[in-house]
Amino acid sequence: MAAVEIRDLHKRFGSVNAVSGLSFDVAPGRVTGFLGPNGAGKSTTLRALLGLIRPTDGTATFGGRRYEELDRPSTQVGAVLEDASFHPGRTARNHLRVLAVTGEHPLGRVDEVLGAVGLSDAADRRVKGYSMGMRQRLAIAAALLGDPEVLILDEPTNGLDPPGISWMRRLLREQAANGRAVLVSSHLLAEVAQSVDDVVIIANGEMRGRGTLEEVLGGDERTVTEVRATDPERLAQAIEQRGHRVERDGSALLVVGATPEEVGVIALEAQVALAGLAPRTRSLEAAFFALTGGES
Amino acid sequence: MSPLLRAELLKLRTTRTFITLVSVTLVLSLVVVGLTAILADDFTEDSVREMFTFDFSSLFILLLGVTGMAGEWRHRTITSSVLAAPDRLKLLTAKVISYAVAGALLSLIVTVALMALGTLILSIRDETTLGLTDLADVLWRNLVVAALLGAFGVCVGGIVRNQIVAIVGLLVFAFALEPALLNLAIDVGRFGPTVGAPNGIIGINPVDDGELLEPGIAGLVMIGWVGLGFGLTAALLRRRDLV
Repeated sequence: MAAVEIRDLHKRFGSVNAVSGLSFDVAPGRVTGFLGPNGAGKSTTLRALLGLIRPTDGTATFGGRRYEELDRPSTQVGAVLEDASFHPGRTARNHLRVLAVTGEHPLGRVDEVLGAVGLSDAADRRVKGYSMGMRQRLAIAAALLGDPEVLILDEPTNGLDPPGISWMRRLLREQAANGRAVLVSSHLLAEVAQSVDDVVIIANGEMRGRGTLEEVLGGDERTVTEVRATDPERLAQAIEQRGHRVERDGSALLVVGATPEEVGVIALEAQVALAGLAPRTRSLEAAFFALTGGES
Repeated sequence: MSPLLRAELLKLRTTRTFITLVSVTLVLSLVVVGLTAILADDFTEDSVREMFTFDFSSLFILLLGVTGMAGEWRHRTITSSVLAAPDRLKLLTAKVISYAVAGALLSLIVTVALMALGTLILSIRDETTLGLTDLADVLWRNLVVAALLGAFGVCVGGIVRNQIVAIVGLLVFAFALEPALLNLAIDVGRFGPTVGAPNGIIGINPVDDGELLEPGIAGLVMIGWVGLGFGLTAALLRRRDLV
Protein backbone atom coordinates (compact mmCIF):
# COMPACT_ATOMS: atom_id res chain seq x y z
CA MET A 1 0.00 0.00 0.00
CA ALA A 2 1.24 3.46 -0.81
CA ALA A 3 2.22 5.62 2.14
CA VAL A 4 0.66 8.68 0.54
CA GLU A 5 -2.26 8.62 -1.86
CA ILE A 6 -3.48 11.68 -3.72
CA ARG A 7 -6.62 11.05 -5.74
CA ASP A 8 -8.20 13.51 -8.16
CA LEU A 9 -7.26 16.43 -5.92
CA HIS A 10 -8.74 19.79 -6.79
CA LYS A 11 -8.27 23.08 -4.98
CA ARG A 12 -9.78 26.32 -6.13
CA PHE A 13 -9.11 29.70 -4.50
CA GLY A 14 -11.86 31.97 -5.76
CA SER A 15 -11.59 31.87 -9.52
CA VAL A 16 -8.10 30.38 -9.51
CA ASN A 17 -7.61 26.65 -9.96
CA ALA A 18 -4.55 26.01 -7.83
CA VAL A 19 -4.67 22.23 -8.25
CA SER A 20 -6.69 20.37 -10.88
CA GLY A 21 -7.26 16.63 -10.74
CA LEU A 22 -3.92 15.60 -9.32
CA SER A 23 -3.39 11.90 -8.56
CA PHE A 24 -0.22 10.14 -7.48
CA ASP A 25 1.24 7.84 -4.82
CA VAL A 26 4.34 7.97 -2.68
CA ALA A 27 5.86 4.60 -1.89
CA PRO A 28 7.69 3.63 1.31
CA GLY A 29 11.46 3.38 1.04
CA ARG A 30 11.61 5.82 -1.87
CA VAL A 31 12.24 9.51 -2.29
CA THR A 32 9.62 11.09 -4.51
CA GLY A 33 10.45 14.47 -5.96
CA PHE A 34 7.45 16.73 -6.37
CA LEU A 35 8.60 19.15 -9.02
CA GLY A 36 7.20 22.15 -10.76
CA PRO A 37 7.86 25.83 -11.27
CA ASN A 38 6.88 28.41 -8.66
CA GLY A 39 3.12 28.70 -8.46
CA ALA A 40 2.56 25.24 -9.93
CA GLY A 41 0.47 24.11 -6.97
CA LYS A 42 3.05 22.09 -5.05
CA SER A 43 2.61 23.82 -1.69
CA THR A 44 -1.17 23.80 -2.07
CA THR A 45 -1.09 20.05 -2.68
CA LEU A 46 1.15 19.43 0.32
CA ARG A 47 -1.00 21.64 2.56
CA ALA A 48 -4.12 19.81 1.43
CA LEU A 49 -2.36 16.55 2.25
CA LEU A 50 -1.50 17.86 5.71
CA GLY A 51 -5.03 19.04 6.45
CA LEU A 52 -4.06 22.70 6.46
CA ILE A 53 -6.34 23.58 3.58
CA ARG A 54 -9.58 21.97 2.50
CA PRO A 55 -9.54 20.38 -0.94
CA THR A 56 -12.35 21.53 -3.20
CA ASP A 57 -12.62 17.93 -4.37
CA GLY A 58 -10.68 14.68 -4.19
CA THR A 59 -8.69 13.12 -1.38
CA ALA A 60 -5.18 13.24 0.01
CA THR A 61 -4.48 10.50 2.54
CA PHE A 62 -1.83 8.60 4.43
CA GLY A 63 -2.54 4.88 4.16
CA GLY A 64 -6.15 5.72 3.45
CA ARG A 65 -6.59 8.12 6.37
CA ARG A 66 -6.71 11.88 6.26
CA TYR A 67 -4.05 13.67 8.32
CA GLU A 68 -6.69 14.87 10.79
CA GLU A 69 -7.71 11.27 11.38
CA LEU A 70 -4.23 10.02 12.31
CA ASP A 71 -3.54 9.07 15.91
CA ARG A 72 -0.57 11.04 17.21
CA PRO A 73 0.16 12.36 13.70
CA SER A 74 3.74 13.36 14.47
CA THR A 75 4.65 9.66 14.90
CA GLN A 76 3.37 9.00 11.40
CA VAL A 77 4.08 12.12 9.40
CA GLY A 78 6.82 14.71 9.72
CA ALA A 79 6.47 17.88 7.70
CA VAL A 80 8.70 20.78 6.79
CA LEU A 81 6.77 23.53 5.08
CA GLU A 82 8.24 26.25 2.93
CA ASP A 83 7.60 29.05 5.38
CA ALA A 84 8.57 27.18 8.53
CA SER A 85 7.92 29.75 11.23
CA PHE A 86 8.79 29.81 14.89
CA HIS A 87 8.04 32.16 17.72
CA PRO A 88 11.08 34.43 17.58
CA GLY A 89 11.33 34.72 21.34
CA ARG A 90 11.40 31.02 22.02
CA THR A 91 14.56 28.92 21.93
CA ALA A 92 14.92 25.97 19.58
CA ARG A 93 14.92 23.61 22.55
CA ASN A 94 11.72 25.10 23.91
CA HIS A 95 10.06 24.99 20.52
CA LEU A 96 10.85 21.29 20.24
CA ARG A 97 9.83 20.64 23.85
CA VAL A 98 6.40 22.07 23.12
CA LEU A 99 6.08 19.77 20.11
CA ALA A 100 7.38 16.81 22.11
CA VAL A 101 4.80 17.38 24.82
CA THR A 102 2.00 17.76 22.25
CA GLY A 103 3.05 14.60 20.44
CA GLU A 104 3.71 12.69 23.68
CA HIS A 105 7.31 12.01 22.72
CA PRO A 106 10.00 11.54 25.37
CA LEU A 107 11.77 14.84 26.04
CA GLY A 108 15.07 13.05 25.38
CA ARG A 109 14.15 13.05 21.69
CA VAL A 110 14.59 16.81 21.67
CA ASP A 111 18.34 16.57 22.22
CA GLU A 112 18.58 13.65 19.80
CA VAL A 113 17.01 15.53 16.89
CA LEU A 114 18.87 18.74 17.72
CA GLY A 115 22.07 16.71 17.46
CA ALA A 116 20.93 15.04 14.25
CA VAL A 117 20.45 18.40 12.51
CA GLY A 118 23.58 19.95 14.00
CA LEU A 119 21.89 22.49 16.24
CA SER A 120 22.99 21.23 19.66
CA ASP A 121 25.25 24.21 20.28
CA ALA A 122 22.54 26.71 19.33
CA ALA A 123 19.68 24.93 21.09
CA ASP A 124 19.29 27.51 23.83
CA ARG A 125 19.47 30.55 21.60
CA ARG A 126 16.30 32.41 20.67
CA VAL A 127 15.14 31.57 17.18
CA LYS A 128 15.07 35.23 16.13
CA GLY A 129 18.88 35.09 16.02
CA TYR A 130 18.90 32.10 13.69
CA SER A 131 19.95 32.23 10.06
CA MET A 132 17.53 30.92 7.45
CA GLY A 133 19.54 27.72 7.16
CA MET A 134 19.39 27.19 10.93
CA ARG A 135 15.62 27.71 10.87
CA GLN A 136 15.37 25.15 8.11
CA ARG A 137 17.39 22.68 10.19
CA LEU A 138 15.14 23.36 13.17
CA ALA A 139 12.08 22.68 11.01
CA ILE A 140 13.64 19.39 9.98
CA ALA A 141 14.38 18.56 13.62
CA ALA A 142 10.72 19.18 14.41
CA ALA A 143 9.67 16.89 11.56
CA LEU A 144 11.97 14.11 12.78
CA LEU A 145 10.87 14.40 16.42
CA GLY A 146 8.26 11.65 16.25
CA ASP A 147 10.43 9.36 14.11
CA PRO A 148 7.66 9.36 11.47
CA GLU A 149 7.08 6.87 8.66
CA VAL A 150 6.44 9.60 6.12
CA LEU A 151 8.40 12.80 5.58
CA ILE A 152 6.94 15.70 3.64
CA LEU A 153 9.37 18.47 2.77
CA ASP A 154 8.37 21.60 0.89
CA GLU A 155 11.38 23.26 -0.75
CA PRO A 156 13.69 22.06 2.04
CA THR A 157 16.88 23.39 0.49
CA ASN A 158 15.67 27.00 0.60
CA GLY A 159 18.14 28.98 2.67
CA LEU A 160 20.67 26.18 2.91
CA ASP A 161 24.27 26.74 1.86
CA PRO A 162 25.98 24.17 -0.41
CA PRO A 163 27.14 21.97 2.51
CA GLY A 164 23.60 22.22 3.87
CA ILE A 165 22.13 21.13 0.54
CA SER A 166 24.53 18.21 0.45
CA TRP A 167 23.52 17.31 4.00
CA MET A 168 19.87 17.48 2.99
CA ARG A 169 20.43 15.11 0.08
CA ARG A 170 22.12 12.62 2.37
CA LEU A 171 19.31 12.97 4.88
CA LEU A 172 16.68 12.24 2.23
CA ARG A 173 18.53 9.13 1.09
CA GLU A 174 19.07 7.92 4.67
CA GLN A 175 15.41 8.36 5.50
CA ALA A 176 14.34 6.39 2.42
CA ALA A 177 16.97 3.72 3.13
CA ASN A 178 15.36 3.29 6.55
CA GLY A 179 12.07 2.49 4.86
CA ARG A 180 10.43 5.88 5.13
CA ALA A 181 8.39 7.42 2.37
CA VAL A 182 9.84 10.82 1.50
CA LEU A 183 7.99 13.40 -0.57
CA VAL A 184 10.12 16.42 -1.34
CA SER A 185 8.99 19.38 -3.39
CA SER A 186 11.25 21.70 -5.31
CA HIS A 187 11.12 24.13 -8.19
CA LEU A 188 14.76 23.37 -8.93
CA LEU A 189 15.28 19.98 -10.51
CA ALA A 190 19.04 20.16 -10.05
CA GLU A 191 18.69 20.33 -6.28
CA VAL A 192 16.79 17.08 -5.97
CA ALA A 193 17.73 15.15 -9.12
CA GLN A 194 20.56 13.36 -7.33
CA SER A 195 18.44 12.18 -4.44
CA VAL A 196 15.05 11.20 -5.85
CA ASP A 197 13.86 7.80 -7.01
CA ASP A 198 10.57 8.93 -8.49
CA VAL A 199 9.27 12.25 -9.68
CA VAL A 200 5.88 13.84 -10.00
CA ILE A 201 5.93 16.91 -12.20
CA ILE A 202 3.20 19.50 -12.19
CA ALA A 203 2.62 22.87 -13.79
CA ASN A 204 -0.40 25.16 -13.51
CA GLY A 205 -1.88 22.75 -10.99
CA GLU A 206 -1.95 19.88 -13.46
CA MET A 207 0.02 16.67 -13.71
CA ARG A 208 2.71 16.79 -16.40
CA GLY A 209 4.45 13.52 -15.70
CA ARG A 210 5.19 10.88 -13.11
CA GLY A 211 7.46 7.88 -12.82
CA THR A 212 11.17 7.54 -12.37
CA LEU A 213 13.29 10.51 -13.33
CA GLU A 214 14.46 8.70 -16.47
CA GLU A 215 10.96 7.70 -17.49
CA VAL A 216 9.56 11.15 -17.10
CA LEU A 217 12.36 13.35 -18.32
CA GLY A 218 14.30 11.26 -20.75
CA GLY A 219 15.32 7.66 -20.38
CA ASP A 220 15.61 6.06 -23.79
CA GLU A 221 14.03 9.18 -25.26
CA ARG A 222 16.96 11.26 -24.30
CA THR A 223 18.36 10.86 -27.78
CA VAL A 224 17.44 14.14 -29.38
CA THR A 225 18.17 15.16 -32.93
CA GLU A 226 18.12 18.75 -34.11
CA VAL A 227 17.01 19.10 -37.68
CA ARG A 228 16.47 22.05 -40.01
CA ALA A 229 14.48 21.62 -43.16
CA THR A 230 13.09 23.66 -46.05
CA ASP A 231 9.60 22.51 -45.12
CA PRO A 232 9.71 21.89 -41.37
CA GLU A 233 5.96 21.37 -40.98
CA ARG A 234 5.86 18.57 -43.52
CA LEU A 235 8.91 16.98 -41.97
CA ALA A 236 7.45 17.27 -38.46
CA GLN A 237 4.28 15.57 -39.65
CA ALA A 238 6.27 12.74 -41.22
CA ILE A 239 8.35 12.26 -38.09
CA GLU A 240 5.32 12.22 -35.81
CA GLN A 241 3.68 9.64 -38.09
CA ARG A 242 6.65 7.40 -37.27
CA GLY A 243 5.85 7.74 -33.56
CA HIS A 244 8.55 10.21 -32.49
CA ARG A 245 7.88 13.36 -30.51
CA VAL A 246 8.75 16.68 -32.14
CA GLU A 247 9.38 19.93 -30.30
CA ARG A 248 9.98 23.33 -31.88
CA ASP A 249 13.10 25.32 -31.05
CA GLY A 250 12.93 28.43 -33.21
CA SER A 251 13.27 27.36 -36.82
CA ALA A 252 14.72 23.99 -35.82
CA LEU A 253 12.86 20.82 -34.91
CA LEU A 254 13.96 18.72 -31.95
CA VAL A 255 13.13 15.08 -32.51
CA VAL A 256 13.00 13.17 -29.26
CA GLY A 257 13.94 9.50 -29.37
CA ALA A 258 15.34 9.36 -32.90
CA THR A 259 18.93 9.33 -34.11
CA PRO A 260 20.13 11.67 -36.94
CA GLU A 261 20.27 8.63 -39.25
CA GLU A 262 16.62 7.80 -38.56
CA VAL A 263 15.57 11.41 -39.09
CA GLY A 264 17.57 11.54 -42.36
CA VAL A 265 15.75 8.45 -43.66
CA ILE A 266 12.38 9.91 -42.72
CA ALA A 267 13.24 13.19 -44.49
CA LEU A 268 14.33 11.29 -47.58
CA GLU A 269 11.12 9.28 -47.66
CA ALA A 270 9.07 12.46 -47.14
CA GLN A 271 11.11 14.16 -49.84
CA VAL A 272 11.94 17.15 -47.64
CA ALA A 273 15.28 18.84 -48.19
CA LEU A 274 17.40 19.19 -45.07
CA ALA A 275 19.41 22.28 -44.14
CA GLY A 276 20.98 20.78 -41.04
CA LEU A 277 21.02 17.57 -39.06
CA ALA A 278 22.85 17.01 -35.78
CA PRO A 279 22.50 15.08 -32.51
CA ARG A 280 21.79 17.21 -29.48
CA THR A 281 22.32 16.20 -25.90
CA ARG A 282 19.34 17.33 -23.93
CA SER A 283 19.81 17.87 -20.23
CA LEU A 284 17.29 16.75 -17.64
CA GLU A 285 16.81 20.39 -16.79
CA ALA A 286 15.87 21.22 -20.38
CA ALA A 287 13.44 18.32 -20.47
CA PHE A 288 11.96 19.52 -17.19
CA PHE A 289 11.49 23.00 -18.62
CA ALA A 290 9.95 21.59 -21.78
CA LEU A 291 7.50 19.60 -19.69
CA THR A 292 6.56 22.43 -17.37
CA GLY A 293 6.57 25.19 -19.92
CA GLY A 294 9.45 27.00 -18.25
CA GLU A 295 12.50 28.59 -19.80
CA SER A 296 15.74 26.69 -20.24
CA MET B 1 -3.83 17.05 32.18
CA SER B 2 -3.96 16.50 28.43
CA PRO B 3 -0.70 16.75 26.46
CA LEU B 4 -2.18 19.58 24.44
CA LEU B 5 -2.98 21.58 27.57
CA ARG B 6 0.49 20.92 28.97
CA ALA B 7 2.00 22.03 25.68
CA GLU B 8 -0.02 25.25 25.66
CA LEU B 9 1.02 26.04 29.23
CA LEU B 10 4.64 25.32 28.29
CA LYS B 11 4.27 27.56 25.24
CA LEU B 12 2.85 30.30 27.43
CA ARG B 13 5.67 30.34 29.95
CA THR B 14 8.59 29.98 27.55
CA THR B 15 8.33 33.41 25.97
CA ARG B 16 9.81 36.61 27.25
CA THR B 17 6.45 38.39 26.86
CA PHE B 18 4.90 36.22 29.54
CA ILE B 19 7.74 36.66 32.00
CA THR B 20 7.77 40.41 31.38
CA LEU B 21 4.02 40.79 31.79
CA VAL B 22 3.96 38.72 34.98
CA SER B 23 6.75 40.85 36.46
CA VAL B 24 5.08 44.11 35.40
CA THR B 25 1.73 42.94 36.79
CA LEU B 26 3.25 42.02 40.13
CA VAL B 27 5.28 45.19 40.46
CA LEU B 28 2.48 47.50 39.31
CA SER B 29 -0.10 45.89 41.58
CA LEU B 30 2.24 46.03 44.59
CA VAL B 31 3.21 49.65 43.91
CA VAL B 32 -0.41 50.81 43.59
CA VAL B 33 -1.55 48.92 46.69
CA GLY B 34 1.56 49.90 48.65
CA LEU B 35 1.15 53.61 47.84
CA THR B 36 -2.58 53.50 48.54
CA ALA B 37 -2.04 51.80 51.88
CA ILE B 38 0.66 54.31 52.81
CA LEU B 39 -0.93 57.52 51.52
CA ALA B 40 -4.67 57.11 52.07
CA ASP B 41 -6.37 57.59 55.42
CA ASP B 42 -9.48 56.48 57.25
CA PHE B 43 -9.80 53.08 55.63
CA THR B 44 -13.10 51.24 55.91
CA GLU B 45 -13.67 47.57 55.16
CA ASP B 46 -15.16 48.55 51.81
CA SER B 47 -12.21 50.72 50.85
CA VAL B 48 -9.75 47.99 51.87
CA ARG B 49 -11.71 45.50 49.76
CA GLU B 50 -11.59 47.91 46.83
CA MET B 51 -7.86 48.37 47.29
CA PHE B 52 -7.31 44.61 47.11
CA THR B 53 -9.06 44.49 43.76
CA PHE B 54 -6.17 46.51 42.27
CA ASP B 55 -4.96 43.24 40.85
CA PHE B 56 -3.70 44.07 37.39
CA SER B 57 -3.46 40.42 36.44
CA SER B 58 -6.96 40.53 34.90
CA LEU B 59 -5.92 43.22 32.46
CA PHE B 60 -2.59 41.62 31.67
CA ILE B 61 -3.92 38.11 31.18
CA LEU B 62 -6.56 39.57 28.87
CA LEU B 63 -3.80 41.16 26.78
CA LEU B 64 -1.68 38.03 27.04
CA GLY B 65 -4.59 35.93 25.79
CA VAL B 66 -4.98 38.21 22.77
CA THR B 67 -1.23 38.15 22.16
CA GLY B 68 -1.03 34.39 22.54
CA MET B 69 -3.74 33.64 20.00
CA ALA B 70 -3.21 36.48 17.50
CA GLY B 71 0.53 35.84 17.82
CA GLU B 72 0.00 32.39 16.30
CA TRP B 73 -1.01 34.23 13.11
CA ARG B 74 1.52 37.00 13.42
CA HIS B 75 4.45 34.62 13.77
CA ARG B 76 2.77 32.08 11.47
CA THR B 77 3.18 29.42 14.15
CA ILE B 78 -0.47 28.44 13.70
CA THR B 79 0.68 26.05 10.96
CA SER B 80 3.01 24.09 13.22
CA SER B 81 0.41 24.19 16.00
CA VAL B 82 -2.25 22.70 13.72
CA LEU B 83 0.20 20.16 12.32
CA ALA B 84 0.98 19.02 15.86
CA ALA B 85 -2.70 19.07 16.85
CA PRO B 86 -4.86 18.75 13.73
CA ASP B 87 -8.13 18.86 15.67
CA ARG B 88 -8.49 22.63 15.66
CA LEU B 89 -11.34 22.62 18.15
CA LYS B 90 -9.21 20.74 20.69
CA LEU B 91 -6.33 23.10 20.02
CA LEU B 92 -8.51 26.13 20.69
CA THR B 93 -10.01 24.52 23.78
CA ALA B 94 -6.55 23.80 25.16
CA LYS B 95 -5.47 27.38 24.51
CA VAL B 96 -8.58 28.85 26.15
CA ILE B 97 -8.20 26.60 29.21
CA SER B 98 -4.48 27.26 29.50
CA TYR B 99 -4.97 31.03 29.54
CA ALA B 100 -7.81 30.67 32.05
CA VAL B 101 -5.55 28.57 34.28
CA ALA B 102 -2.67 31.00 33.79
CA GLY B 103 -4.96 33.92 34.64
CA ALA B 104 -6.13 32.26 37.83
CA LEU B 105 -2.57 31.37 38.87
CA LEU B 106 -1.27 34.83 38.06
CA SER B 107 -4.12 36.42 40.00
CA LEU B 108 -3.51 34.09 42.93
CA ILE B 109 0.13 35.12 43.16
CA VAL B 110 -0.55 38.84 42.67
CA THR B 111 -3.60 39.04 44.95
CA VAL B 112 -1.92 37.12 47.77
CA ALA B 113 1.19 39.30 47.44
CA LEU B 114 -0.74 42.58 47.44
CA MET B 115 -2.97 41.43 50.30
CA ALA B 116 0.10 40.57 52.36
CA LEU B 117 1.75 43.91 51.61
CA GLY B 118 -1.43 45.95 52.09
CA THR B 119 -2.39 44.21 55.32
CA LEU B 120 1.14 44.64 56.68
CA ILE B 121 1.19 48.38 55.93
CA LEU B 122 -2.35 48.92 57.26
CA SER B 123 -1.51 46.99 60.44
CA ILE B 124 1.59 49.10 61.01
CA ARG B 125 -0.50 52.24 60.48
CA ASP B 126 -3.17 50.84 62.78
CA GLU B 127 -5.78 51.11 60.04
CA THR B 128 -8.70 48.80 59.32
CA THR B 129 -7.76 45.39 57.90
CA LEU B 130 -9.83 42.51 56.56
CA GLY B 131 -10.37 39.17 58.21
CA LEU B 132 -9.51 35.90 56.46
CA THR B 133 -13.10 35.36 55.27
CA ASP B 134 -13.22 38.73 53.57
CA LEU B 135 -9.76 38.26 52.09
CA ALA B 136 -10.81 34.87 50.71
CA ASP B 137 -13.94 36.47 49.26
CA VAL B 138 -11.89 39.10 47.41
CA LEU B 139 -9.39 36.46 46.31
CA TRP B 140 -11.87 34.13 44.60
CA ARG B 141 -13.53 37.01 42.78
CA ASN B 142 -10.19 38.22 41.46
CA LEU B 143 -9.31 34.67 40.40
CA VAL B 144 -12.58 34.13 38.56
CA VAL B 145 -12.31 37.44 36.70
CA ALA B 146 -8.70 36.79 35.67
CA ALA B 147 -9.53 33.26 34.50
CA LEU B 148 -12.51 34.40 32.44
CA LEU B 149 -10.69 37.38 30.94
CA GLY B 150 -7.73 35.14 30.00
CA ALA B 151 -10.11 32.87 28.12
CA PHE B 152 -11.90 35.85 26.57
CA GLY B 153 -8.60 37.33 25.39
CA VAL B 154 -7.78 34.13 23.48
CA CYS B 155 -11.14 34.36 21.73
CA VAL B 156 -10.59 38.01 20.78
CA GLY B 157 -7.16 37.10 19.40
CA GLY B 158 -8.76 34.30 17.39
CA ILE B 159 -11.36 36.58 15.84
CA VAL B 160 -9.12 39.60 15.19
CA ARG B 161 -5.96 37.97 13.87
CA ASN B 162 -3.96 41.19 13.55
CA GLN B 163 -2.20 41.39 16.92
CA ILE B 164 -1.80 45.16 16.99
CA VAL B 165 -5.37 45.85 15.89
CA ALA B 166 -6.68 43.33 18.42
CA ILE B 167 -4.74 44.82 21.34
CA VAL B 168 -5.36 48.46 20.48
CA GLY B 169 -9.02 47.75 19.76
CA LEU B 170 -9.43 45.91 23.03
CA LEU B 171 -7.73 48.67 25.02
CA VAL B 172 -9.95 51.32 23.42
CA PHE B 173 -12.99 49.18 24.14
CA ALA B 174 -12.01 48.44 27.74
CA PHE B 175 -10.78 51.89 28.70
CA ALA B 176 -13.04 54.18 26.65
CA LEU B 177 -16.07 52.60 25.04
CA GLU B 178 -17.23 50.27 27.78
CA PRO B 179 -16.72 52.74 30.65
CA ALA B 180 -18.58 55.36 28.59
CA LEU B 181 -21.40 52.91 28.00
CA LEU B 182 -21.46 52.06 31.70
CA ASN B 183 -21.80 55.74 32.57
CA LEU B 184 -24.35 56.54 29.90
CA ALA B 185 -26.49 53.43 30.06
CA ILE B 186 -25.59 51.16 32.96
CA ASP B 187 -28.50 48.83 32.19
CA VAL B 188 -26.65 47.89 29.01
CA GLY B 189 -23.09 48.57 30.13
CA ARG B 190 -23.25 46.22 33.10
CA PHE B 191 -23.35 43.32 30.66
CA GLY B 192 -20.03 44.39 29.07
CA PRO B 193 -17.24 41.82 28.94
CA THR B 194 -14.27 43.89 30.10
CA VAL B 195 -15.68 46.31 32.71
CA GLY B 196 -19.39 45.78 33.43
CA ALA B 197 -19.57 42.06 34.12
CA PRO B 198 -16.06 41.78 35.68
CA ASN B 199 -16.89 44.59 38.12
CA GLY B 200 -20.15 42.81 38.89
CA ILE B 201 -18.18 39.71 39.88
CA ILE B 202 -15.73 41.73 41.96
CA GLY B 203 -18.56 43.74 43.52
CA ILE B 204 -17.09 47.17 42.86
CA ASN B 205 -19.33 49.68 41.12
CA PRO B 206 -17.26 52.29 39.28
CA VAL B 207 -20.26 54.55 38.57
CA ASP B 208 -22.49 56.44 40.98
CA ASP B 209 -25.85 55.81 39.37
CA GLY B 210 -27.38 52.40 38.86
CA GLU B 211 -26.39 48.92 39.95
CA LEU B 212 -24.15 46.31 38.49
CA LEU B 213 -25.16 42.68 38.09
CA GLU B 214 -25.05 40.32 41.05
CA PRO B 215 -21.75 38.37 41.14
CA GLY B 216 -23.37 35.08 40.14
CA ILE B 217 -25.26 36.64 37.24
CA ALA B 218 -22.21 38.64 36.20
CA GLY B 219 -20.20 35.38 36.21
CA LEU B 220 -22.76 33.75 33.94
CA VAL B 221 -22.70 36.76 31.62
CA MET B 222 -18.91 36.52 31.42
CA ILE B 223 -19.15 32.80 30.69
CA GLY B 224 -21.64 33.71 27.97
CA TRP B 225 -19.15 36.17 26.44
CA VAL B 226 -16.40 33.54 26.53
CA GLY B 227 -18.78 30.98 25.00
CA LEU B 228 -19.76 33.39 22.24
CA GLY B 229 -16.13 34.26 21.52
CA PHE B 230 -15.18 30.58 21.58
CA GLY B 231 -17.95 29.69 19.15
CA LEU B 232 -16.98 32.44 16.71
CA THR B 233 -13.28 31.63 16.94
CA ALA B 234 -13.92 27.91 16.51
CA ALA B 235 -16.07 28.52 13.44
CA LEU B 236 -13.43 30.75 11.87
CA LEU B 237 -10.54 28.49 12.77
CA ARG B 238 -12.21 25.35 11.44
CA ARG B 239 -13.00 26.73 8.01
CA ARG B 240 -9.90 28.81 7.52
CA ASP B 241 -7.32 27.56 5.02
CA LEU B 242 -3.79 27.83 6.37
CA VAL B 243 -2.00 28.88 3.21
